[in-house]
Amino acid sequence: MQARFVIYALLAIAAILLPLVAPPVMNNLILRVGSLMILAISWNLAANAGLISLGHSAFWGLGSYAALLVANRLGWPFFASLIPAMLIGAISAAAIAVITGRLRGIFFAIAMLALSEGLRVIAVMTPEFTGGGAGVFIDQALRPSTQTVAMVTAACAVGCAIIAYWISLTPFHYACRAMRNNENAAEMLGINPLRFRIAVLSLSGAMASLAGGVNIWYSGFLDPAIGFDLHVTILAQIAPILGGIHTLAGPIIGAFATIGLSEVTRVMVGEQGFSLLVYGVILVFSILCMPKGIYGTWLTWSQRKRQTTPTAPSATKAATP
Amino acid sequence: MSLLLQCLVDAILLGGLYSLMAIGLSLGFGVTRIINFAHGEMIMFGAYGAYFASILLGVDPLLSLPVVAVLVAAASALLFKGLIEKVLDAPHINQILLLFGIGLVLQNVAAILWTGDARSVSTPYALTAFEFDTLLVPHGRVIAFVTAAILIVALFCWLHFSELGRATRAVAENGQAATLMGINVSRMYMISFGINAALGSATGAISAFLLTVTPFMGFHMLVKAFAIVVLGGLGSVPGTILGAFALAFAETWVSYYVPDGSGWAEGVSFVVLLCVLIIRPKGILGQAVAVH
Amino acid sequence: MTSLMENLGRMAVLVGALASTHAYAQDTIRIGAPFELSGRFVAYGAQGKRGVEMAVDIYGGKIGNKKIEVLYRDVQSNNQAAVTAFTELTQQEKVDFVIGPIASGIVAASVPAWRQTKPLWIVPGSSSTQLEDAMKGEPLFFHTYPWAYQYHEGAAKSLADAMGKGKKVAIVYSDGAYGREQLPWAKEFYTKNGFTIVATELVREGSADLNPVLQRIRQTRPDVLVGIVQTTDGIQLAKQIHVAKLNIPVLVGTAYPQLQEWSQATGEAADGWIGVTTYLPGMKRAADPKLAKLFPSLTDWEVDFKKRYNREPEFLDVTNYTSMMMLLVAIERAGSTDKEKVAKEFTKLDIQTMLGSSNFAPTPGGALHQAFNDMVVFQRVGEKFVVLYPPDAADGKLQLKK
Repeated sequence: MQARFVIYALLAIAAILLPLVAPPVMNNLILRVGSLMILAISWNLAANAGLISLGHSAFWGLGSYAALLVANRLGWPFFASLIPAMLIGAISAAAIAVITGRLRGIFFAIAMLALSEGLRVIAVMTPEFTGGGAGVFIDQALRPSTQTVAMVTAACAVGCAIIAYWISLTPFHYACRAMRNNENAAEMLGINPLRFRIAVLSLSGAMASLAGGVNIWYSGFLDPAIGFDLHVTILAQIAPILGGIHTLAGPIIGAFATIGLSEVTRVMVGEQGFSLLVYGVILVFSILCMPKGIYGTWLTWSQRKRQTTPTAPSATKAATP
Repeated sequence: MSLLLQCLVDAILLGGLYSLMAIGLSLGFGVTRIINFAHGEMIMFGAYGAYFASILLGVDPLLSLPVVAVLVAAASALLFKGLIEKVLDAPHINQILLLFGIGLVLQNVAAILWTGDARSVSTPYALTAFEFDTLLVPHGRVIAFVTAAILIVALFCWLHFSELGRATRAVAENGQAATLMGINVSRMYMISFGINAALGSATGAISAFLLTVTPFMGFHMLVKAFAIVVLGGLGSVPGTILGAFALAFAETWVSYYVPDGSGWAEGVSFVVLLCVLIIRPKGILGQAVAVH
Repeated sequence: MTSLMENLGRMAVLVGALASTHAYAQDTIRIGAPFELSGRFVAYGAQGKRGVEMAVDIYGGKIGNKKIEVLYRDVQSNNQAAVTAFTELTQQEKVDFVIGPIASGIVAASVPAWRQTKPLWIVPGSSSTQLEDAMKGEPLFFHTYPWAYQYHEGAAKSLADAMGKGKKVAIVYSDGAYGREQLPWAKEFYTKNGFTIVATELVREGSADLNPVLQRIRQTRPDVLVGIVQTTDGIQLAKQIHVAKLNIPVLVGTAYPQLQEWSQATGEAADGWIGVTTYLPGMKRAADPKLAKLFPSLTDWEVDFKKRYNREPEFLDVTNYTSMMMLLVAIERAGSTDKEKVAKEFTKLDIQTMLGSSNFAPTPGGALHQAFNDMVVFQRVGEKFVVLYPPDAADGKLQLKK
């Protein structure tokens, strides 16, 4: 147990310090993997409580716009701009939690999709405020180095993973699981579903907005189609599903796998239209053949192996959060 | 006054198209409990089918519509048998992602086969209109409306008066009970999926002369169809029609009477959608669909 | 939990393998070509790639004894993928020359990535003045596509000449980057040329019904309608204007009225539309006197293109071919792959290309190297194009639509 923690801690520190020595392409990948990891953890957190979001791009976009606007209008630097980004994510998510009340399953999913599309329309239609369809560059003078942004992304990803881990240790996590399985039963157990909903969604929203906020400092340009891009929503759910939904490690593995896949198809398949096609085909087959994701499949496989050779009893416990 | 009348006419004609666009999605959910995220791609394939029938063979989209619909239905039934059937019992999210992935594949197959060029068929009726004083009633939109109405009535009759249709409704109401009554549920699912795809492709065939056809036209229509279906109530045929007209009226009214309304129209529909979800999540005419 | 470790370890190896630098061959000239080869802008990217490919092939694939290697990358019509592709090309493959991408949003997203190493960058697309502003004073940035304002300057002037003063204009613009960018310029140039703007109506991109907007415009009884929209919406606009019998004598588009894509989809509704472009199919442009093989007459080039790709070229095919060919000539003349030296040769090029003279000039917006802004205003009459502007190339008069 102790040794494992030390290894994790070292790994996390290594990930955060990696941008200092890594080549720029590596920084780019750290950034993409890191921000997707935050997004995936955020999505998985909501999914753990039975809230399947089809509109995580709403939080991502709000975070991006918040960071960009405070930078361009008020001259806030990188670090300071992440605070309003997170706040707006948390506040809007809390509002959504209250508004959607007891909507569940598919209805909550569609409500989120509507929110994201609605926000995109608002961003398009208020060009004086957001820059509108023409888009805006973030103030070049305020931009930190790529290394800084990559380091912060890695640190945020590690932070989110720690939060997710910490939640898995608290009773909060059982409440979530109870809500996922049956909200009525959870209520009978003395859990106030609305309060938990607000807490879970706010946390999830803040994380996704943080990812959006960090990312805008790296990519430097924002328009409504980029901010509220459906692609972000898709990535936010593909990563945990591919890695292993409702697990701690799933979103993390999923983020690596998704970006790796995207990179391989992008670089290797140069013909027109093929890269997204291959991406889709792999998505379809991984869901059909590995519905528990990479991590879940690996667990099943290793458990089966363990049953035939009964050793190492301690490792299974951590797999269930 | 004349503008108000024009607004009403436009809304009614648009409502017809919207009904047909969303009805397959709604019915599909009612029967299989799966939201078909590739419904937009069924529409897109229907549109390309009608387009190529017109360009290569000189067949009018309205004449090629039945053929295109049957082909898309057959292909979709195969798709269902081959892939979708395997996730019927899986969590919602797996279903959504699977269908989403299929949609992504279909979009890009279309982009590879037919390039990303925008296309449209210019049949004679697509470019003319009835004129009553200042009131304008485009022939193409009337034809689209009538076609949609015929198809929806046919669907309604099939659901209520045919053996297979009744079985479909039985499955929609209670899959387990239907099994006990000796209905082959898995076959019903396949048939229903095929029919819903056919309805989608029929929408596409109409769009071929009414709208612009591209490999990526589907998603936009899917999102709108969602709004309609939720507005009306998932799985309810009359509800969907009501939802379609409600949305068409809201959008058209905003487009006519609000400054820059054409830009706001879509946003307003999402506000309406959110309101419905909050006030009455089952939709206007939603039946007791398990909220899960 | 050891499983997590192992998985992370494997991933790290994978990522490391991806990021490891390739051997850098000295005997090749490497040019990065990030294009939209999938996703919603695939039509643009496909034209870009075709043009570049054809240029390399006709040039002979080699400069001196160095092989030309074009590194095509798919930016998936997505801004993050564009940043990655750009970074990979410039910082891992270490290319000093980049051509593409094309769509304005994707180009804008590439700007910060470009700043990291600042290779010589040719943008054969994006009419966004945001880009012009962001690249102000950059000596290695070359733009071979008109800026937003250039579309309306010529059109407004030629219409004012043909129609006289005091006419009314209605503008329809899309809510995307394209429409929003150009709207102020359209307003400015039409007003400057004595027109009164009676309506500016916004339309949603991909809208299923434009009739509400058209009915509102009908009430203002304009003499001219300007449609600043992308091709897809341009099809919808032309068809619905035709159906609604708006009786507006002059219909003006941007680039789309010349596209076969547009005219095939709109049928008879296409007749009489006025467009603005730098290239018109069937236009007469002579071959360059010295480099006739590389820059043939437009007619010869079109024949060659049709033979290769079995379709008519679009203006992005021509723009990308020309831009790429100019780069190859500049590299040859510089006798080196040093980007500064090539840039110097690039600005000195004086070639008669299919898009007009290759001379680069600074723009009022502050970009240093702008080529091909000789806009041609034309009208579709039946299957033919009649050039209305500039005066020396005009071969017909403006015809009012009935």
